[in-house]
Amino acid sequence: MIAVLGLVVGVVVGLLVRPEVPAVVEPYLPIAVVAALDAVFGGLRAMLDGIFVDKVFVVSFLSNVVVAALIVFLGDKLGVGAQLSTGVVVVFGIRIFSNAAAIRRHVFRA
Amino acid sequence: MSTEDNPTPRPDRDEEEAQVPAQEWVAQRPATGRQRLRAGLWPPRVTRAQLIVALLLFVLGLGLAIQVRSNSDDSALRGARQEDLVRILDELDDRTQRLEDEKQELDDQKTELENSSDQAEEARKQTLEKERQLGVLAGTVAAQGPGITLTITDPHSTVEADMLLDAIQELRAAGAEAIQINDVRVVADTYFLDSGGGVQVDGKKVTAPYRFEVIGKPQDLEPALNIPGGVVQTLEEERAVVTVTRSQKIVVDALRPAKQPDYAQSSPR
Repeated sequence: MIAVLGLVVGVVVGLLVRPEVPAVVEPYLPIAVVAALDAVFGGLRAMLDGIFVDKVFVVSFLSNVVVAALIVFLGDKLGVGAQLSTGVVVVFGIRIFSNAAAIRRHVFRA
Repeated sequence: MSTEDNPTPRPDRDEEEAQVPAQEWVAQRPATGRQRLRAGLWPPRVTRAQLIVALLLFVLGLGLAIQVRSNSDDSALRGARQEDLVRILDELDDRTQRLEDEKQELDDQKTELENSSDQAEEARKQTLEKERQLGVLAGTVAAQGPGITLTITDPHSTVEADMLLDAIQELRAAGAEAIQINDVRVVADTYFLDSGGGVQVDGKKVTAPYRFEVIGKPQDLEPALNIPGGVVQTLEEERAVVTVTRSQKIVVDALRPAKQPDYAQSSPR
């Protein structure tokens, strides 16, 4: 419950405060958000499976974000940033879908 | 990562929930995913796991909101990559070029139209000027300018139509441009008729004193009247009293209605 509240508060604060994002971080923010979403879906699925561990969640969340940003950064340096971002988004999209399917099976039993 | 494949979750969990009495915990222990979800959502429990997850989700929500915000209402260029920006710049340059060309074309057109409308305006002005000049001649508009006033008083009723006509002819020959006698405008087809005690000018009765308002060059008009054997002398022989005064401002404001010809139409050549 508190976790859901955290998400809601985060969205509200982001919309209200409108912080300036440093230009260096800006290109990586969308990818980082997608990576974090993947971690969150993974965590939700683990919770439903009964194997949720907060430490693992934290590590997976942070490493997802960092690795995703790193890939994009590397892609930008190599001149294939756009393609690599697309690749990262596709991979995370597939994972989010499979996690969502597992969650769906738990919640709706279908 | 997604499946949280942690092989030993149990010890942590048990430590966390240690405050809950053992038998109650067993009774509440959720068996299915749905029950676990419900148990996690309600009642809210302040545990380390919940707090950490809340913190991370807060960060996620923040990033999500910022990204959505900067994508939606800021310029779409903020997050764009270098090659995209270069492409957009190229497109904008092309567009600017096209618009510049179009502007040039329209400017040319505007200049052309202005010139032609200037010409039309000039032609209109000239036509107006001509109309005014012709109006002065035809007596349809009032006129003013330097000229003379010729007054003929006729104490013995000796002045006749032909004398007035002579005066008019003399004035015309001397370059009179607009003439009126009392309140009748004298034009090309003006005629004079004797009628008892006066003269009819264009069918209008005019009586002495006859007052001629003449616009023209005063230095030409006055001598023309005063030459020996001229108009003034002839009239004085008839015992009329004639005075001629020069003036820098003569107003000829008697008008004649413009007559539309019934048959003749203007022809371009």
